[in-house]
Amino acid sequence: MFYIHQTSCISPQQTFKDIDINILHEPTDRKLQAIEPSYEAIPPGILRRMGKAVRMGVGAAMPVLQNTPVPDGIIIGTANGGKEDCVKFLNQIIDYEEGLLTPINFVQSTPNAVAAQIGLLTKNHGYNITHLQLGLAFEFAMIDADMLLAEYPLNNYLVGAVDDISTYNYYFEDKQGWYKKESISNKTLYDNNSTGSIAGEAALMFFVNGTRAGAIAKIHAVDTLHHEDESVMKEKLQGFIKRYLPGGEKIDLLLTGENGDNRLLKYYDRCESVVEADVAIARFKHISGEYPTASAMGLWLCCELFQKGSLPGHMIKRKGSAAAYKNVLIYNNYKGIQHSFILLSLP
Amino acid sequence: MDRIVVTGMGVISAIGNTVAENRVSLIGGKCGMGSLEMFSSKFSDILPVGEIKISTDTLKEKLNAHEPGVTRTTLLALHTMQEALTDSGSTGSEISAFDTALVSANTVGGMCLTDEMYRDSKKDLPGSEYISSYDYGSVNMYLQKRFAMNGPVNTINTACSSSANAIMYGARLIRSGRAARAIVGGTDSLAKFTINGFNALHILSNEVCTPFDEGRKGLNLGEGAAFLVLEKESDAAGKKIYASLGGYSNANDSFHASSLSDEGIGPYKVMKEALAAAKLDPGAIDFINAHGTGTENNDKVESIAMLRLFEKVPAFASTKANIGHTLGAAGAIEAVFCILNLSHQELYPAVNFNEPIPATGLKPVENYTRKTLTHIMSNSFGFGGNCSSLIFSKA
Repeated sequence: MFYIHQTSCISPQQTFKDIDINILHEPTDRKLQAIEPSYEAIPPGILRRMGKAVRMGVGAAMPVLQNTPVPDGIIIGTANGGKEDCVKFLNQIIDYEEGLLTPINFVQSTPNAVAAQIGLLTKNHGYNITHLQLGLAFEFAMIDADMLLAEYPLNNYLVGAVDDISTYNYYFEDKQGWYKKESISNKTLYDNNSTGSIAGEAALMFFVNGTRAGAIAKIHAVDTLHHEDESVMKEKLQGFIKRYLPGGEKIDLLLTGENGDNRLLKYYDRCESVVEADVAIARFKHISGEYPTASAMGLWLCCELFQKGSLPGHMIKRKGSAAAYKNVLIYNNYKGIQHSFILLSLP
Repeated sequence: MDRIVVTGMGVISAIGNTVAENRVSLIGGKCGMGSLEMFSSKFSDILPVGEIKISTDTLKEKLNAHEPGVTRTTLLALHTMQEALTDSGSTGSEISAFDTALVSANTVGGMCLTDEMYRDSKKDLPGSEYISSYDYGSVNMYLQKRFAMNGPVNTINTACSSSANAIMYGARLIRSGRAARAIVGGTDSLAKFTINGFNALHILSNEVCTPFDEGRKGLNLGEGAAFLVLEKESDAAGKKIYASLGGYSNANDSFHASSLSDEGIGPYKVMKEALAAAKLDPGAIDFINAHGTGTENNDKVESIAMLRLFEKVPAFASTKANIGHTLGAAGAIEAVFCILNLSHQELYPAVNFNEPIPATGLKPVENYTRKTLTHIMSNSFGFGGNCSSLIFSKA
């Protein structure tokens, strides 16, 4: 259990400055690409050498760290890290037949580059780690913070999620059929009975600690499962709710990572069957696009909900009976095998 | 709270395919460095490497791992995870239990397949069988499926200190009640990617590496894997207990992306914090398995940090002189070596060492020594300033 106090988000939507999520930016070239800010907080000489994932991650972290106490640790979830630089370096190896290579792409390609660069630029000597478990990388980062705050209740941590669309990982995913072949608008993402989704990317940062006062949201628990069987998923989810939803309370909103891929619908159907018929259901992948750490975008949207009191109409799948949202369950599925469960509420 | 204990181990490196073989080689001061033979590189005969002389196809055959897309990185992990599970007597139902965690680390994932990855990243070429194997998470995705695991499965990266952090995370999952047991470790295979990367940084030696030696010229890369089975002491009643994991720490040097600060801020901080976590004074440490890569920067800074922290620097050595720097596997392999030190009450000779660094005067353990050992520290430092230290104690 812990509390979120500040957030920052660079995404395909207007989420970084003058936040407006009612307007829905559409994909270009079948990709929901992040609207990158000008990164004033990063020295230009350093910014120039950064790959996109590192740039977005550091760029999202800096404004949070300018307004908060120095965190006791930096905990990042990312499936790809600096994969763009990895493949750039790989191309150099092959194209120049292992000739004289510049090390910059190699150094930036290490998956810990985002956490390391944030640490380096802010001279943070605390805990520093990167979780890489694909569609559950952000969840294990959150669990890490949860464990640390249970052990050190007075500490503060920066928890983040970063994944970018690079020319390279885009082809890896596309060739495996994870993106829709047809060119579609995110406004109709859920209406096409076909396989695949739309590629997305984002960098999100959350400043967390154990203090309720002034918090945006309370995270009750985060749990994960690797399994292909939807009934095992359902059982795990039921156990999760039973264990962590405070007694006498009910879930007011289910936010899911439904992504328009008809192969994954069975998991989302099972998930929806777990909550009562009057519980509101909302979706977020038309906002974020699909990528491994997209559940962080779901969490950020809940923080927006708690601050503003309502969700944009385009997110609502089913209206609920609750007058206001207090308890929210986020369920996300990555590639039919990785399941994420996050239970949060108003602080 | 119960102590976290180690009840099983598995390791493969350039000096042995099992825990027992590695121990024999360590006692004999074997250096596993030689020419690169398993794939072609311009540097095959120029830069010595700690290579495991078993082909990827033979590993697939031996491990019955014929699924498409299985990489050498994954096979090395599978080989050692099996050894650790057998060693600990873990049953199938224990391995599949919802409270058995798998936490592992690697830094190359499927990028050992440099040429395949190059082709798969091109728009118009069809995908190969390895297209879903390049991710760092692909190793655990295979192991999770192969062992039908239902508990938490996580992949960690802190560059060259990655598997030390996998060990820590597994221990913390147990401490927090999220797991009853954790299978933790690391794996990495040699790759054109890392050979060229470290070479571009000018930190590879064209001779066998000589950690803590005045004349050191850089590191040698190696490959390998190691896994440990961690449990609560109360759950391990009746089992063979190798050692306990008493303390650990992770901190950032925050000085430079690929080198350590002169005064060793990160290395000093993690050693100090690991001692505090284990509730030990510096004088209680009997031996340090140093990070000791053999680079100008690391060995000097690590020595300075040890001299700052310890009134009298304990016996120390770096096993990277035996097996090379195995990157994401290093922390886990060295944890196994530390546990061998403890369970056999012996220290292994530091190979390739001649002259101490004049500014520090520190000499690693020179000969095989029988010694009473209670607490051992293992250091791992990585790119991005990611420093970690673990303390293992006698069972």
